[in-house]
Amino acid sequence: MDWNSTPAEQAEPPMSRRSSLPLSSTIPASPNTVWVDATPLLQAACTDLLDGELIHGENFNLFAAMSALEIMDPKMDSGMICKYYSVDEAIEDGVGPVPISFDRTTDVQCTLDIMDHLLACEATWHKGHSLAQTVFSCIYLLRPERTVPSPILHSYCKIIRATCKAIVSVVSDARTHEEEDLFTMAYGLPLDGDGDEKSLSLLNAVEENLCRQLRACKAQSSRRKQDMEPLQSDIDMEEGYCKALLCRLRFRKHFFHVLACMRRPQGKGLELARKHIASSISELECIRKSADFLISTASGGCSIGIEDRTTASGRKPIGFDASLNSRVSAPAPPRSIKMLSWNKAIEYFEKLLRDLDFICSYSLDPSLEVLLRFVTQFQSSRPDLVARSHLQLLLVQEGRLYGRDPMFAVITRAAGLPETTKNHDIQRYESVMQLGQLVINMLKIVCTNTAWQRRKLGKSLQDWRVIYVQLELAFTNKFGEVLATSNDENGVARVVKQILIWLEEQAYWIAFRFLMLGFELELYSPSEFFMVYWYLYAVLVKLAEKTDSRMEITEITAAKRKGKKRKDSSKDVGRETRIPPAVRFLQCQIHLVEGLTLLQAALRNEMAALHSLTPFNSEQEIFLQHFELLQKACIPEQITYHSFKESTSYARFSNIATPNCFQQAQKLAKELRSSFSNDHDRLAELRRLEQVAEHNSVAMNVICQLGAVEPNSLKVSFEFIHHPCYATAVVRRA
Amino acid sequence: MEMEPETLVTSSGGQDGSHSERPSEPSSSSTVARVKKLLFRQVLVGIKDGRFFMGTFHCMDKQGNIILQDAVEYRSTRRNSPSPMEQRCLGLILIPFSCRTSCHVECPIEEQMSLMTIQE
Repeated sequence: MDWNSTPAEQAEPPMSRRSSLPLSSTIPASPNTVWVDATPLLQAACTDLLDGELIHGENFNLFAAMSALEIMDPKMDSGMICKYYSVDEAIEDGVGPVPISFDRTTDVQCTLDIMDHLLACEATWHKGHSLAQTVFSCIYLLRPERTVPSPILHSYCKIIRATCKAIVSVVSDARTHEEEDLFTMAYGLPLDGDGDEKSLSLLNAVEENLCRQLRACKAQSSRRKQDMEPLQSDIDMEEGYCKALLCRLRFRKHFFHVLACMRRPQGKGLELARKHIASSISELECIRKSADFLISTASGGCSIGIEDRTTASGRKPIGFDASLNSRVSAPAPPRSIKMLSWNKAIEYFEKLLRDLDFICSYSLDPSLEVLLRFVTQFQSSRPDLVARSHLQLLLVQEGRLYGRDPMFAVITRAAGLPETTKNHDIQRYESVMQLGQLVINMLKIVCTNTAWQRRKLGKSLQDWRVIYVQLELAFTNKFGEVLATSNDENGVARVVKQILIWLEEQAYWIAFRFLMLGFELELYSPSEFFMVYWYLYAVLVKLAEKTDSRMEITEITAAKRKGKKRKDSSKDVGRETRIPPAVRFLQCQIHLVEGLTLLQAALRNEMAALHSLTPFNSEQEIFLQHFELLQKACIPEQITYHSFKESTSYARFSNIATPNCFQQAQKLAKELRSSFSNDHDRLAELRRLEQVAEHNSVAMNVICQLGAVEPNSLKVSFEFIHHPCYATAVVRRA
Repeated sequence: MEMEPETLVTSSGGQDGSHSERPSEPSSSSTVARVKKLLFRQVLVGIKDGRFFMGTFHCMDKQGNIILQDAVEYRSTRRNSPSPMEQRCLGLILIPFSCRTSCHVECPIEEQMSLMTIQE
């Protein structure tokens, strides 16, 4: 058997020109069989077949056959050979030469291009593609030992592999990347290299050398040290090239340190991480600035459009072939990838660093309430997978909050129980342990991407409901009527009662978040807003009630511990007028949604125009679709489509304006400013609420006055001008 | 895979493989019947880019597109010189006629002769 083929005929493999089968020696059939050419027979049969007739056996199923991978289809055939049969063949053909060029200037230029393109590849990977087709489309990364003769390239490749390994490990550990499952696939890729120490020390050595070269070229020519070999041959460009290389290497070093510091348990490395983040950001700035210099070095101008270029210089980088690895990404069918441009890649890393910095700025507050507010704020900037995974790993480590506080302690603190309760015996009860697990799940869920988060939060509502019932049942059975009267301080009854109150509050918080996320995800069409606001009203009322109960009972417990005797009349009256700011904050939103519900209900009742009934779903069906998960979990109880219809059917222009809910909301928002003077986040939210209230109040007055007289002269739309979830009514002349 | 197709060669050695006891259906000819008998056999198909696929013959249509079951992809690591083969499993695949360059079927040695005497 020989593989005769002249070098010119490289398009077709030698097989096609031979009728017998030399392959029998490499792909043997079996001892008693041979391969026989069936082509003539098949061809004859094809001619004889009727149109649409198939030759198949009894086990053939047309539907199942549709799932067959079509060979040579780029979307399905990940093993399609484009140019090279293997990485080694590509290397032999000179795709990734080492050294890149014997001309040192060209070598430096190409190294810079490779570094830039790798940054673009890395950002593309982070955005949701496979490692094999992005970062590891670089031949130099695939064969680590080859780059040793070129120290700068070698150290850069090492640190890239180490960084990718660290990030894959973080995302894998967080295990909430179900929708970005391609991210962690690293089969067949050389990620397990030398240790991190070696990568860093190599990088430091190269950096030091470059620094010396930079110093040497900056020195006066008379004092220029002759024994320092310059980086490359063009003296005028030496400074520019040295600086360009230095900022890129330094960025990688600091970024790697950021990842290492943030991985330290219990958030011990966060402060140091912030320093490295600051350095990384400043190096990124230098990288960006180097573009002007590098573009000028590109002879012949930019080969690619200036905005789409993946390198600073605009040149195409050497040593990349995305098709080489495509079959390593199996079993997923190959996805076509548009590589992020260099500019976009830098923007991506800047955002990532800002998001990581936000995480590092967190004080690891032991209060669950503070934590949830922090996470909500973090999520509002739409952070990507890598940042979110880091947050999740910070929050939950080894079943403890921040790797530090056991879940039971977190729960008792959230329920307002005294510190000593965290050692209480009931933590060993099954249902209490399950509650701890539920809290852990919730913390993990709130760190995921918005769509996934909303789905999971909705589904978890039933679990919260079930746990509540189980807990209540477990302790009623054990202690009978003791739960009804809770006069003993540290007894089980008191503890359980307070936990139950907190549990309800937490469940309503989840329901609230579930509904609000629907606005962010644009899941509600404008005609459905008013039922969402109505449901939000019901949920918020309950949330405020439970929050208030929890705070009240916390105060009572605390007061008792201080030994103050309850003077029934005076203290109680005092308490009623001192509603905690947190509850009033919720009340402000309650007024707002009440106003929005009434306004929209009146518009529907008075003006047929707003009824955009589709022929597909009835209003009741839409209601059930949106709120199915909440209804199943009975959160809140006794809320049905009928109660919804009943409470909104009376709304008319004549009766919704007094009392003016929006004015009440506006007033409350103003008053609350002083209570939250130190909380920037809540102050900003209050400002937004106030604006929504103010504009809607005016709009409502206009609508009610004009609507009563000439309803069809108005066109009202609801737009998210001042707040992402609470709409502002915009009134126009029809 | 375990379904045994009828043997290609009758004891009387009928070279064209036709069986007179079975009345032929109006839509199929002897060639179609013969190809039907190749179902469930191991088949080795060569592709334009130099790869080979070995799998169980599952289906063929009038255009000559072939479906293989439990297919394994074989590829050389070098285009033009002898080199070790790499293989990986793919499952159910469809090989369009347009990219097929060869098709060999596994035959017991004694059958080889009868298959090779097929006339157009």
